Amino acid sequence: MDTLKLETAGRGLAPSLAVKTKCVMEDEILRLKGEATAALGEAGKEDLEPFRVKYLGRKGLFTSVMRQLGSAPAADRPRLGKLANDIKQELTQAFAARQEELGAGRGQGTATRLDLSLPGRVLPRGRLHPVTQVMAEVCAIFEGLGFTVAEGPDVETDFYNFEALNIPPHHPARDMHDTFYVSDALLLRTHTSPMQIRAMEREQPPLRMIAPGKVYRCDSDITHTPMFHQVEGFLVDRQVSFADLKGVLSVFIARMFDADTAIRFRPSFFPFTEPSAEVDIGCVMCGGKGCRVCKQTGWLEILGAGLIDPAVFAKVGYDPEAYSGFAFGLGIERIAMLKYGINDIRLYYENDLRFLSQF
Amino acid sequence: MKFTLNWLKQYIDSGLNATELADRLTMAGLEVDSVEALCPDLDGVRVARVASVAPHPNADKLTLCQVEVEGEPRQVVCGAPNVRAGMLTAIALPGTTMPGGFKIKPAKLRGEKSEGMLCSARELGIGGEEGGIMDLPADLEIGAPLVAALDLEDVLVEVDLTPNRPDCASVLGLAREVGGFVGKRMTPPVAGPLPRLTGEGLPFTVTVTDTDCRRYAARLIEGVSIGPSPWWLKQLLLAVGLRPINNVVDVTNLVMLEYGQPLHAFDFARLSGAAIVVRKARPGETMATLDGATRELDSEMLMICDAERPVAVAGVMGGEGSQVTDATTSILLESAYFEPVSIRRTARRLNLSTDSSYRFERGVDPEGIPYALERAARLIVELAGGRLMDNGYDVVGELPGRASLDLRVRRTNELLGLAFSADRIAALLNSIEIATAKMDEETLRVTVPSFRVDLEREVDLVEEVARLHGYNAIPTALPAVPMRFAHRDAGRSLRQQVAAVLTGFGFHEAINYSFTSPAHCDLLGLAADDPARQLVPLVNPLVEDQSVMRSLLLPGLLENLRRNINHQQPDVRLFEVGKVFRHRDHATQPEEMMLLGCVMSGRRHPGASRLHYGEALVDLLDVRGVAEALFGELRLADRLILAADAVLPSYVAAGTGLALAVGATPVGWLGQVAPSVAKAFGIKQDAFYLSLNLDALAACEAAPKRFASLPKFPAVQWDLALVVADGVGGGDLLAAITEAGEQLIERAEIFDIYRGKNIAAGHKSVAIAITYRAEDRTLDDDTVGKVHERIIGLLESRFDAHLREA
Ligand SMILES: [Zn+2]
Repeated sequence: MDTLKLETAGRGLAPSLAVKTKCVMEDEILRLKGEATAALGEAGKEDLEPFRVKYLGRKGLFTSVMRQLGSAPAADRPRLGKLANDIKQELTQAFAARQEELGAGRGQGTATRLDLSLPGRVLPRGRLHPVTQVMAEVCAIFEGLGFTVAEGPDVETDFYNFEALNIPPHHPARDMHDTFYVSDALLLRTHTSPMQIRAMEREQPPLRMIAPGKVYRCDSDITHTPMFHQVEGFLVDRQVSFADLKGVLSVFIARMFDADTAIRFRPSFFPFTEPSAEVDIGCVMCGGKGCRVCKQTGWLEILGAGLIDPAVFAKVGYDPEAYSGFAFGLGIERIAMLKYGINDIRLYYENDLRFLSQF
Repeated sequence: MKFTLNWLKQYIDSGLNATELADRLTMAGLEVDSVEALCPDLDGVRVARVASVAPHPNADKLTLCQVEVEGEPRQVVCGAPNVRAGMLTAIALPGTTMPGGFKIKPAKLRGEKSEGMLCSARELGIGGEEGGIMDLPADLEIGAPLVAALDLEDVLVEVDLTPNRPDCASVLGLAREVGGFVGKRMTPPVAGPLPRLTGEGLPFTVTVTDTDCRRYAARLIEGVSIGPSPWWLKQLLLAVGLRPINNVVDVTNLVMLEYGQPLHAFDFARLSGAAIVVRKARPGETMATLDGATRELDSEMLMICDAERPVAVAGVMGGEGSQVTDATTSILLESAYFEPVSIRRTARRLNLSTDSSYRFERGVDPEGIPYALERAARLIVELAGGRLMDNGYDVVGELPGRASLDLRVRRTNELLGLAFSADRIAALLNSIEIATAKMDEETLRVTVPSFRVDLEREVDLVEEVARLHGYNAIPTALPAVPMRFAHRDAGRSLRQQVAAVLTGFGFHEAINYSFTSPAHCDLLGLAADDPARQLVPLVNPLVEDQSVMRSLLLPGLLENLRRNINHQQPDVRLFEVGKVFRHRDHATQPEEMMLLGCVMSGRRHPGASRLHYGEALVDLLDVRGVAEALFGELRLADRLILAADAVLPSYVAAGTGLALAVGATPVGWLGQVAPSVAKAFGIKQDAFYLSLNLDALAACEAAPKRFASLPKFPAVQWDLALVVADGVGGGDLLAAITEAGEQLIERAEIFDIYRGKNIAAGHKSVAIAITYRAEDRTLDDDTVGKVHERIIGLLESRFDAHLREA
């Protein structure tokens, strides 16, 4: 144990061990240090005095090395002298510690003991934002299932955000999306679902993809921020069924939360899926007994999903008779809140170090 | 959509309690938002009769009432203006705890004994805004508990409807769904054949001139007397959050909630020309709506007009001029079908969303129109008296027809992962009044009922099958998909790599909103032609501070820095990886660039033990070090060029900035934020910043990892100390050494810079260690010495340097 500490400390004292003028002398000092350190680590009670005489005594090896310093180049003498001296001092301390450890002390330690109660010497690392962490976790699960990650523009066209997703102008479903507009034709995407269209326009099935990213809704209160993060995923192939959707999302939830997390699927409505579902998990706060977070229902909504609507396939030129698929979307902030117990959504974007350093 | 259990019970006896019902509805896609007891705990509140009322001897506004509850009459002091002898009202007896937590005790008020309190509906938490104490129906039993007497024991249920189910924006629609899961049929209040409405022999006319009105039915009721609604009706409306107005208007609201069909009652006497004309508004027309506002109309808005002018915005809101008042004696009652898109457009244009527009926008039941009209007309006659004219108008245009859809059994099973027979599927659909005919074992012909406007395609029926069977009863499987390599995006990998390096250096990751304040440009002092001023504005921002898309990450990070300093955390290392936006034109998506911003301020080693690391403050070389290390990790260090003479943004403090490039590609800059800019952001300490364009960086090719043999022969290190003028760059000395073309030099490093004693003013001593090594032999002093001398000579001549005397 002491040997270890000694070595650690030693490194700090010899800043440039590798290469020195007249490296013979320096090598000799360092070799001696290594040899002595090893010997001290193995020394028994009866070895201590011979050790002291051999290395630290008036005629010991360190003394003799220091006497030879005169032959080193003048420029290097001070440095080598300091190195030898430091190592000798350190060995003396280690020797005293070893003596004490072996109960052989003379009660008049020549050196101060290491203060083991002091904090270690380390530069703390920073942390990724909790949203990034959860996002990475979600993506990793789906990547493990063979999904490709794709990203798209934050400022979307009305076509990709709405029309191609079977939400024509004046459709009441637009009420579900409090949209920030940039112009008549441009908006801040309200979901990352436009990537479904962009990907399907580009590629033929089979397709497996997730689209993570920032999304925007003009809604701001204690439970909503006007910007949040979403992961949209979809899979298209022949003979994909609602049962498959349930299976994939069950795997995801078991990985993201617990293997035994309760899951339920209930009917809902999204214009771009049919049938559409909301997916709830058993409340992670109360274990399903009912609490404030789950509004006493024991369930928490975490995902929207469904089979891709044939109207969407028609927009991208897929034959809805030949192909079927499913899509799902989930909010990262919400999952982070549930996983980490964050109770105030505003904290996410204040970037207070007291918040960021917790995750 | 709100309803109460007792209300629902009028149409279907489900046998379910509130919790069961809520759960079944939610699992049928009609998500229940809340379930709450309609009235608070009112033990101790009884029906009482005010036997007599006398003035309070010591107070003008109070009265002394003798009140019968049970046993002897008791004296109660009352301050309500509507108290009168003979009325039935509610009394809270001593011992009662009121909904607000206040406990009733026998008391003396201005010297007079008061044993209890006469209560208003609001005080009891069962009503809205009626003034005065409750005025109860005369037939209630005196002394009976109020809750039982008024049948207040009820549960309010709120359903969060999805936009595809307007049929369930009605209690009957919900009753139909409930019938589906308990295997019963609901009973509507009006059934059987209705009178045929031909429009003949009537004292009014209805003319529909616009196809946005697809059906318009109207009946006339003469001789009504307008007054307050009976208690049960007021109570029902209050329970679901509507304000009772008068018996006629309340009936139209009730029937809207019952049938999902918005109705409108006009004061017939105020319809000029006894005419209803349905048409688009004329240019320049205006109308005062019921909410008191005067609305500018446009020619795409469908209006209900009389012979002269608009009297209602069709499907959205009635007009002030034709509304039912206490003086009204004849009612023209409207029940119609308006084109959903037209109503939605008008409602949005007028910024008016009403219970009526909500339903029309989503689509009412075109065949339900006469039933709702009949129901409301009968109820008005019942509550307000009058005579309903036998005939009426029912102008029918082109209505959405009842779709007939073929549902393939195999397709249904494939999409859902089930193995149902045609009969089983038919039974599910039939349970909610969707008629089916089995064509063969493979095909069901489905007649979509008129109230289900959402069922248009086979797949919509597939969803119904899934919904009625229950999503949770559908098995779980995993798709059999071909194995394929998931492509990895280079930009995303780079961002992850950058984040990993920076967190390693103690940076926390920040995420700021993508929208920001346009004022940041001025705070940064950007020139008028700075590209960062090409902001993308939002048409409908929530607040001014979030009204443009950000064009830089720096302002957000400076705000984060200020916030942390203000919260006693002055030692900050934050980075953000995110997009910035540059406006192109209104029709084109803006340019989106992925940037990295790093801000450093305060102590050099934030969060580290001061005992071990001291209190030194961060400086420019810290941020330069981060950049160098980052490029090293990205294997771009060899091509990284840091230029001090480049033109940098004006918010970089003069003389502190370095432009970064990989080869010829500019990738960013680092420097100190100009103190004036920091101050503009409320920051008084030095702040350093690194900005990188990650899109540009992702396009740079990283140096490949290549093994080089380990040296076989030892290196030697020779030191030298040079005195040079202060203006000579230490890095330039090193560069001169490594670029001198000497094969034997492996590395050069500055290990000390000294000014002061023995060094001439305006000069410094730079101590450099040079490492020499040969590949093929151990170097001897002579060989090294010669090179060392050459290097010294080179430095002395190029930098006007001289060796420092020992
Ligand atoms: Zn809970």
